[in-house]
Amino acid sequence: MNGVSKDDNNAIFRIRRFVFQKFPLARKRSVANSDNLLESGIIDSLGVLELVTFFQQEFSVTAADEDLTPENFQNIECMARFVERSLELQPGSAE
Amino acid sequence: MDFLIHHMLRNSAALYPEKEAVVHGARRLSYGEVADRCASIACGLRSAGMQRGDRVGIYLDPSVEQVFSIFSISQAGGVYVPMNTVLVPEQVAHIARDCGMKALITTPDKLETLLPALHDVSSLQFFIVTGESSGPSGLQVDSKPIHRLRRMLQLPVAGRWSDWGISKDLAAILYTSGSTGKPKGVMLSHANVMAGSTIVSTYLEISDRERILAVLPFSFDAGMNQLMTAFQQGATIVLIKFVFAKEIIAALIAEHITGLAGVPTVWSLLANGGILKHKFPDLRYITNTGGAMPQAVLKVLREALLSTKIFLMYGLTEAFRSTYLPPEELERRPTSMGKAIPDTEILVLNEHGKRCPPGEIGELVHRGPTVSLGYWGNQEATDRVLKSNPLLPQELGDCEKVCYSGDLVKMDDDGFLYYVGRRDTMIKSSGYRISPTEVEEVLFQTGKIRQAAVIGIPDEVLGQTIKAFIVAKDGAPLDCDAIQDFCVEKMPRHMVPKQFEVMKELPKTSSGKVDYPALRRREGL
Repeated sequence: MNGVSKDDNNAIFRIRRFVFQKFPLARKRSVANSDNLLESGIIDSLGVLELVTFFQQEFSVTAADEDLTPENFQNIECMARFVERSLELQPGSAE
Repeated sequence: MDFLIHHMLRNSAALYPEKEAVVHGARRLSYGEVADRCASIACGLRSAGMQRGDRVGIYLDPSVEQVFSIFSISQAGGVYVPMNTVLVPEQVAHIARDCGMKALITTPDKLETLLPALHDVSSLQFFIVTGESSGPSGLQVDSKPIHRLRRMLQLPVAGRWSDWGISKDLAAILYTSGSTGKPKGVMLSHANVMAGSTIVSTYLEISDRERILAVLPFSFDAGMNQLMTAFQQGATIVLIKFVFAKEIIAALIAEHITGLAGVPTVWSLLANGGILKHKFPDLRYITNTGGAMPQAVLKVLREALLSTKIFLMYGLTEAFRSTYLPPEELERRPTSMGKAIPDTEILVLNEHGKRCPPGEIGELVHRGPTVSLGYWGNQEATDRVLKSNPLLPQELGDCEKVCYSGDLVKMDDDGFLYYVGRRDTMIKSSGYRISPTEVEEVLFQTGKIRQAAVIGIPDEVLGQTIKAFIVAKDGAPLDCDAIQDFCVEKMPRHMVPKQFEVMKELPKTSSGKVDYPALRRREGL
């Protein structure tokens, strides 16, 4: 708890932590990274907005309206892929 | 003469039998088809044992069947009780128990989820399930028959239909929260609902040419009003369940939508979801209700919807619809709730029942034909909200009830109203009314909490979010995540506190009650 895991830098870890913090039903059901959160109703339209704000604040990734699709938001893996892809496209992103 | 809700359908079916009435995905039904199906289901309901005035619950997602249910229950002489499918089984059971629900219309899957909570609801006599599946346990459950809506649809309607009710009869019960206790059932008569449709159709100038997109649930008065205005005018209503703003945008364009009603969260979604990149040449009007539209969102909408009229509206379930701001006033008074809807008077009264002069804060009191019949089975609560009109001459006696909204407002010199706040502790989040005590009761159910109080924290998108102040039993440490997890099982997401603060003791008033204003001050409110 006190130490910083190397996973802390992974988008998937940070998104998972956020989803578990903000969507208690995800925590309650211990959802897997590949579980569909839209079909199960864990993330609704407002939840998507919260995620968009989180991506901006945490990763400086801006989700344009064409990015707001089930393919990018249906599960934690998809969200991480979207964030990583967006980071790669950003100029000067060396990490 | 049209005086019952289903008469509006009957009339539109006679005038426009081939016209599209309801659209949901690939399903498109004409007024003639909807009227025929509703008549068949009404026969089915009566033969299943429904009597005049029986309450029938509807627990369905947006669907054609949901529309059939509403109008067929009316036609069969019953009272429909629409329930939002975000409600958890215990909340559905509360509603069923509270209104003495006789029958419930739902899907087989939802029935299976609800059944454990419904076992002790003695009034329930039968279920009706939609879809193809045979349901959780064949043809009956707990010795109560399960009917198939699909089978009812095939019933022939023999002879001349005989209505059982008149316009003063109860048509619907909409459950909503106040500042205390569990949700209460607001009773609306056929006359209330139809007056609401006529009034709203008048000021929005809704005609049979309208194509209305329904994104608000029919368990919410503004959502239901959209359906009623559409059917009254012979317009088309398009049903949608959405997660992404682009789903709404796609429907607006593909279905040539002319009218859209939303709550502030819907507009925030659209403003953030690319509305500026599209054109909506068909969209004649939009209406906002359920809370103040954030000014930044309003700015985006005005930019995106140059040829669309924007109506800011206000209503409360107990009086159905109350005020609207004419679009031409939007530039001058963007934060106003507007003025009374037609055939309605809005009074701003002080605590002595006298009119407040412009600029003085008073309670919004609604007078008109949409004032509801009160709360089902709760005269005490009804008497707190529906009272005699203090401004009428004494000689008229107690001839009229007006609705005390609990909303504090002020009026400008031109008679336009502005929302100031609530008289009580009720919270409003994403258009939902939330009773603090209902949330606090769930917190107590954890068995770990000695004192609890929740307040609303302002939120740009949701209006308010919930913060809980909790005191542990015996000073034991509290795991806020575990308490939140417990809440998630017992309440829909909009009721679950987002923030928790553990305190040693809650601030109290001199009479020993929780000092909510002190908690709000703590948050800088």
